[in-house]
Amino acid sequence: MADNTGNGQKTNGLPRIGFYICHCGSNIAGIIDVVAVAKFAETLPGVVVSREYKYMCSDPGQELIAQDIKEHKLERIVVASCSPNLHEETFRKAAQKGGLNPFYFQMVNIREHASWVHENKAAATLKAKDLCRAAIYRVRLHKALEKRRVPVNPDVLVVGGGIAGIHAALTLANAGKKVTLVEREATIGGHMAMFDKTFPTLDCAACILTPKMSAVKSHPNITLWTYSEVEKVDGYVGSYEVTVKRKPRYIKEDLCVGCMECIEACVFKEAKVPDAFNQGLSKRRPIYIDFPQATPKVVVIDPATCINVKTGKCKKTCVEACDRDAIDFTQKEEKVQLKVGTIVLATGFKPFDPKKSPHYGYGKYPGVFTALEIERLVNASGPTSGEVLTRDGRHPKAVGIIHCVGSRDEKTNKWCSRVCCMYSLKLAHLIKEHSGAEVYNFYIDMRAPGKAYEEFYEKLLSEGVHFIRGRVAEVTDWAMTKEEEGKLVLRVEDTLAGFVRRVPVDMVVLATGLVPQSDAGDVRRVFNIGCGKEGFFQERHPKLAPVNTFTDGVFIAGACQAPKDIPDTVAQAGAAAAEALALVDAGFVELEPNTSYVLEEECCGCKNCIPLCPYTAISFDETKKKADINEVLCKGCGVCAAACPSGSIVQNLFEDAEIYSEIEGVLAR
Amino acid sequence: MLQQNIKYEESRDPDFARWATEQTGGENIRRCIQCGTCSATCPVSSYMDHTPRQLIHLAREGFKKEVLSSFTLWLCASCYSCRVDCPKDIHVTDFMYALKRRAMAERVYPKRFPIPVLAQEFSRMVQWFGRVNETIVAAVMFLRTDWFKLLGQTGLGLKLMRTGRLSVFPESIRGRSELQRMLKAAEASKEKEVASR
Ligand SMILES: Cc1cc2nc3c(=O)[nH]c(=O)nc-3n(C[C@H](O)[C@H](O)[C@H](O)COP(=O)(O)OP(=O)(O)OC[C@H]3O[C@@H](n4cnc5c(N)ncnc54)[C@H](O)[C@@H]3O)c2cc1C
Ligand code: SF4
Ligand code: SF4
Repeated sequence: MADNTGNGQKTNGLPRIGFYICHCGSNIAGIIDVVAVAKFAETLPGVVVSREYKYMCSDPGQELIAQDIKEHKLERIVVASCSPNLHEETFRKAAQKGGLNPFYFQMVNIREHASWVHENKAAATLKAKDLCRAAIYRVRLHKALEKRRVPVNPDVLVVGGGIAGIHAALTLANAGKKVTLVEREATIGGHMAMFDKTFPTLDCAACILTPKMSAVKSHPNITLWTYSEVEKVDGYVGSYEVTVKRKPRYIKEDLCVGCMECIEACVFKEAKVPDAFNQGLSKRRPIYIDFPQATPKVVVIDPATCINVKTGKCKKTCVEACDRDAIDFTQKEEKVQLKVGTIVLATGFKPFDPKKSPHYGYGKYPGVFTALEIERLVNASGPTSGEVLTRDGRHPKAVGIIHCVGSRDEKTNKWCSRVCCMYSLKLAHLIKEHSGAEVYNFYIDMRAPGKAYEEFYEKLLSEGVHFIRGRVAEVTDWAMTKEEEGKLVLRVEDTLAGFVRRVPVDMVVLATGLVPQSDAGDVRRVFNIGCGKEGFFQERHPKLAPVNTFTDGVFIAGACQAPKDIPDTVAQAGAAAAEALALVDAGFVELEPNTSYVLEEECCGCKNCIPLCPYTAISFDETKKKADINEVLCKGCGVCAAACPSGSIVQNLFEDAEIYSEIEGVLAR
Repeated sequence: MLQQNIKYEESRDPDFARWATEQTGGENIRRCIQCGTCSATCPVSSYMDHTPRQLIHLAREGFKKEVLSSFTLWLCASCYSCRVDCPKDIHVTDFMYALKRRAMAERVYPKRFPIPVLAQEFSRMVQWFGRVNETIVAAVMFLRTDWFKLLGQTGLGLKLMRTGRLSVFPESIRGRSELQRMLKAAEASKEKEVASR
C-alpha cells in the first residue's frame, strides 16, 4: 500500500479530496497500473490523500476512507473501482461514517469500463487516469443531498388467482396484511384447477389446490374479487391508487350458496354452450358454475348467451328456482377504487394455439387433442368422468404424444416451455392407466430437470411407454398400408434407431407450449412494467432480482414471468410476497435524491417536458402556469432536463456545471 | 443401389419386445436412457452394424428382424465393459447372449459369417463328445463359411499338428450320456422357468 499523502495541505480554496483506487484482486491491477494512477491523482489540484488498496470494498478498505476523512479533514471522496451498481452504496456509507454527506462522493468504474475491456496495459492505465481526473473535477461541485422517505401503505393487491396468486395472497394475509385478490374469471384456481394429477408425485391436483382456494375465500385478511380486472394504476411505490372493473355476474355473491337449483331450472333444457373450463369438450347452460369446488362457490350468468340479458324476454325460471333471491338482473358493471402500497402480478400463461402448427391437424382431424383437453378427459370430474375417449366416443388402442408443439421452433416460439416434457410423461402414465392403450412419446430432448423428475422419467420408461426421439413431421390420415387405414399416422425419424417410421394411432396429443397471455402487453402498460421480446413480464435481474420489476413495489410471480411448473411457481410467489412484506414492514421507502426539479422563475410553461417523462411524474400547475415535478415519481432519468428549451429543469447530481467539469476532466490530458 | 428405408408398424413385433424384457439381461432394457455409454466403451462397436445402444432401442421397440440378423450379437467380445459402465445397470452383455440364442434358434444369424458358425459347431461338439477338437471345429467352420480359406490355412494347421498343438482325432469324455442328460435337464428347467414367468 503506497501512502501518498504528500500533497500537503495547499488546496487553494478547493475542497479537500481523498482519492482511492482498488486492485480488485487482479481484476483491475492485472491490467491497470494502479500505483501509477494513484501517484497521478495525487498531483491533481485539491487531492489531499491518494491511495491504492487491494480490496476497497472490504471492511479495512471502508475504514480507511472513514479514518482519512477525520484525520485529513477530507471534504470529497472519489473511489476508482467497479460498477456503482455494486458498491456505490458501500462507499457512500463509508463517507457517511467518516462524517461526510454521502453525496460528496463520486465513483469511477475502471473495471467494467477499462480493465475488463482492454488488453493494452499502457492504454488502459491512461484511460483510467482520464476517468479518474474527470471524477475528481466533478466531485468538487457536488452538493450535500438528502434521501427522501415516503411511507408505504401496508395493503397489498394481488392480480391473478392461479396457484401463484393464491399462494402469494395467503402468505401475505397470514403475515397480517390486508390483501385484495383480483381474478378475471368467475373462479380462482387458474390452470392447476383443470388438472387431474400433478407431476412428478401424481398427487391429485384438486386435493392439494382446493384447500388453499377455500382458505383464500375464508381468510379474514383477504378480499376476493373474481370476475374483475384492474383497469388503471396511479401513484407510486408505497401509495398506488388502483381502479378495478367488476363485471356483473347477475348473482348476489353474498346470497348465493351454489346449490345450482337455478342451473337445472334454466329455460335451456339442454346445455348448448361450449364449456370453456372443459376446453369445449362438453356443454353448459347460460347460467353455470365452472366446477364443483369453484371459489367462490357462486354461479354466474354469461351475458352472451342468457336470453334475459340479451333481450329481456325470458321466463326467468332461474329466478323462480332460487329461494334465496340471489339472482339480480339489474347488476351493472362497477368501478371500484383501491389504495395499496405494493402489487403482486400473477396473471399466468396461455397454452400455444395448435392451429398455428397446421401439420399436426388440430381442428382438422377429430382424433387430435391438446394436452389441456386430455387433462380434462382424464379428470374424474371432467366431461367423460375420467374415461379416455376420442371425440366420436371410441376407446383409443394407440395414442401418440407429440412434445414441443409451439416450442423450440423459430417459426412459432423459440423457447423451451419447460413443463411439457414432464406433463407429457404424466399424461402418458394417466392415459395408459385409464385406457390400457399403447402410448408413444415423440420427443426432441427429454427435459426432466427437477427434484424427482428424472426418477419419474425412469418410472415411465419402466412402464413400457414408447420413447421415440424425433420431431414428428406430420399427422395424416393417408394410409399406406392396410393397418394404417382409419388411423392417424405420425411420420417421424426415429433418430435412436436410425430410420424413418410411420406410427398409426387413434389419438394424438399435442404438448402445446406456454405462451404469454393475449393481453400481457396491455396489462404490462397498466402496471408500467416491462416485457421481454417474447412477451413474458420482465424481471429486474434474471438471477438476483427474479420477482422484482423495474417499477418499485410491483412484483411478478408464476408463469407470467416465464414458463414454469407448480413448485417453481409457488416458490416464486412466496418470494414475491416476501419482497412486498419487506417494503411494507420497513414502513417507508428511501428514494435516491437524483431527481429533477423546476426552477419556477425560469419555466415558460411550454409543456415540452410533460409528455416526455416515461414515469408521468410531471404535471402542469394551471394556476402558476408552470411545470411541476413529483419527486416521488421521478426516477432521475434526466429526459426532461435535457429537453427543456429554457434550461429551467435541474437534475440533482447531474447539474450542468457538474457534467461540464467532468467532460473537461476527461479531455484535460 | 438405392434402398427404401422406412419402417411401417407391421415391421414391428411387440411380442418380441415383450420376450426381450423377459430374458436374463433384458429385464432392465426399458430403463435404458440411450446415453450411448455402452457403444462408446465397447472395443468392437466400430465394426458393428448397430451399436449396442441402438440394438437395445430396436429390441424394446420390437424390431425383431433388425435385431436378430445384426452382426452386433456376434461381434460382441463378452468383455463386459458396457455392463460395468452403464449408468442404468443394464446387463447388456447378458442380453447379447439371450439374443444370440434366439438368433440361433430362429436360424436368422448372418449366413457364412464365421463367428455364429464357430459358436454353433463348438457347442454341438461339446454336446456330443464333452470335449472340443480344434481341428474339426476349425475345418467345419471354414467349410461352412469360406472353404477357400481352409486351403490357405493348411500349412499352419500341419505345423501345429507336427508340434502337437492340434490333434486329428476327436477325444471324448467318459459318461457322455450323463452329460447329455444334464444338458437336457438344464434346457428343460429353463423352459419351465420361462413358462412360469
Ligand atoms: C397441460 C399442462 C399440464 C401441466 N401439468 C403440470 C403438473 O402436473 N405439475 C406442475 O408442476 N405443473 C404443471 N403445469 C404447469 C402449471 O400449469 C403452471 O406451473 C401453473 O399453472 C402456473 O400458475 P400461475 O398461477 O402462474 O398461472 P395460471 O395457472 O395461468 O393462473 C393465472 C390466473 O390469473 C388469471 N388472470 C390472467 N390475466 C388476468 C388479469 N389481467 N386480471 C386478473 N386475473 C388474470 C387467470 O384467469 C388465472 O386464474 C402444466 C401445464 C400445462 C399446460
Ligand atoms: S450404457 Fe446403458 S443406458 Fe446407456 S445406452 Fe447403453 S444400455 Fe442404455
Ligand atoms: S460385452 Fe460385448 S457389447 Fe458389451 S462392450 Fe464388450 S464387446 Fe461390446
